Amino acid sequence: MIQLVFNGLVTGLLIALPALALALTFSVLRFANYAIGAMLTVGAYAAFGFNTLAGWPLPLATLGGMAAGALVAVGVNELVYERLRGCSGVTLLVASIGVALALENVVRFIAGNSPRGYAVALARPLRLFGLRINFEQITTLFAVVAVLAGIWVLFRFTRIGRAMRAVADNPDLAAVRGIGRRGVVTVVWALSGALAALAGVLIGLDATLDPQMGWTYTLPVFTAAILGGLASPMAAVAGALVLGVAEELATTVLAPQYRNIVAFLVMAVILLVRPSGLFGARWLTR
Amino acid sequence: MSALDVQGIEAGYGARSILHGVDLTVGDRGSLTVVGPNGSGKSTLMKVVVGLIRPSRGRIRLLGEDVTGLGAPARARRGVGYVPQEANVFRNMSVRENLKLGFEFIPSRQPSGFAGRLEAMLDLFPELADRLGTLAGHLSGGQRQMVAMAAALMPAPALLALDEPSAGLSPRNAGLLFAAIARIVESGVAVFMIEQNTRLGLGAVEDGLVLVAGQVRARAPAQALLADPEMRRLYLGAEATP
Repeated sequence: MIQLVFNGLVTGLLIALPALALALTFSVLRFANYAIGAMLTVGAYAAFGFNTLAGWPLPLATLGGMAAGALVAVGVNELVYERLRGCSGVTLLVASIGVALALENVVRFIAGNSPRGYAVALARPLRLFGLRINFEQITTLFAVVAVLAGIWVLFRFTRIGRAMRAVADNPDLAAVRGIGRRGVVTVVWALSGALAALAGVLIGLDATLDPQMGWTYTLPVFTAAILGGLASPMAAVAGALVLGVAEELATTVLAPQYRNIVAFLVMAVILLVRPSGLFGARWLTR
Repeated sequence: MSALDVQGIEAGYGARSILHGVDLTVGDRGSLTVVGPNGSGKSTLMKVVVGLIRPSRGRIRLLGEDVTGLGAPARARRGVGYVPQEANVFRNMSVRENLKLGFEFIPSRQPSGFAGRLEAMLDLFPELADRLGTLAGHLSGGQRQMVAMAAALMPAPALLALDEPSAGLSPRNAGLLFAAIARIVESGVAVFMIEQNTRLGLGAVEDGLVLVAGQVRARAPAQALLADPEMRRLYLGAEATP
């Protein structure tokens, strides 16, 4: 049981980064970025390129992948979303489905369809307090917790973090307080692309890389963000942890291949009962 | 040099023209309230001054610099401190964060840093001193207006632009707020205000301007306008009785 909860928390942490990225873009730009899964795939493959083709060690290749993910996200914003500025959230959502298809197929065109893996040495799992903890789980745990702490500090204590929260809260007022929307939006996309890329690498470490890996995670990522409250980025992390544990515990009563059903069920129930999310009610709009 | 100089402004929404050749000035340490009946174009005039609407004709100068072609963020950085009528605070951020945001994206016109400006604002609005950690969305309407004004004043703007500050406030809170506005005017900040409540709006400033159907009908010292029975009867409504 404790093993299941631990595994669930690690799964939740894997979902937490893209869920945070999704909630971040939603809170500032007011549209649900369906291409979040494809951004994750692009980042994972970019890091794969740095790792296996250029021979960089994985930590450095991951940073390279995050930089590439950030650049792609900013580029897509300039090419697609900025040109649709002022359109409804639904229009932008549909555009992001197109972006997802395009990104995924660019990856497929360059890297092929076969599953790939990072060049890392195999390691024996650790035994700690009766828990079986493997190397990928430790990496995920430390990487995600460190990044989440960094994001929290960025939001709370930095000028750009305050600017992001201000634009999310009241974009018109932010403009008359001298905060340029364009700069904030660029930073939001860069951050979102980098977070998705890091998640892509961690998922690639946990399983394998394939061009469809992002699709598998799109549903849980949306569920986690909705569970937390789509407009509150840090609440998406809590949503991801709850979902990860729920999915893992469900394997005690369901066959493991059905665990995605849990994500569907949780999302449906939350949308019916509490559309603002479990933690979203604290967001003040009046 | 005038803080604000508006010449021959024509503006509206799409093909619909609202303002027809409006001229006004606010002196360096002056204060002006624009009053007038509903639909006279007060809100449009405010939006033109702060850069939310581009005029089809005319010129706007801020401290002598032509800012007609600039949008709201650029005018804010050149010294326009704007307090919108509604949604004028960041509700999910604390009062301190609201004040910090007012300060850190606009070059301050005074050498004192954040701490110095914060102290000056708490002198002007002592009601905020023990609420710095409170979320702005949890404050009352009057307190929110004070936070919004303090945030706009943080970078020591060349011009404070107030859009109907009394809207939605109880008479008591409106009275407290306008007492604070009178203190701001006394401190020498140039103030440009539009206001429905003519007695409060004209009572806190030096000069008044009556806007009717997008044109300036009268411009005089605020007290003279309030005392003019003809003006009161025609444009200012019964509540302007001193």
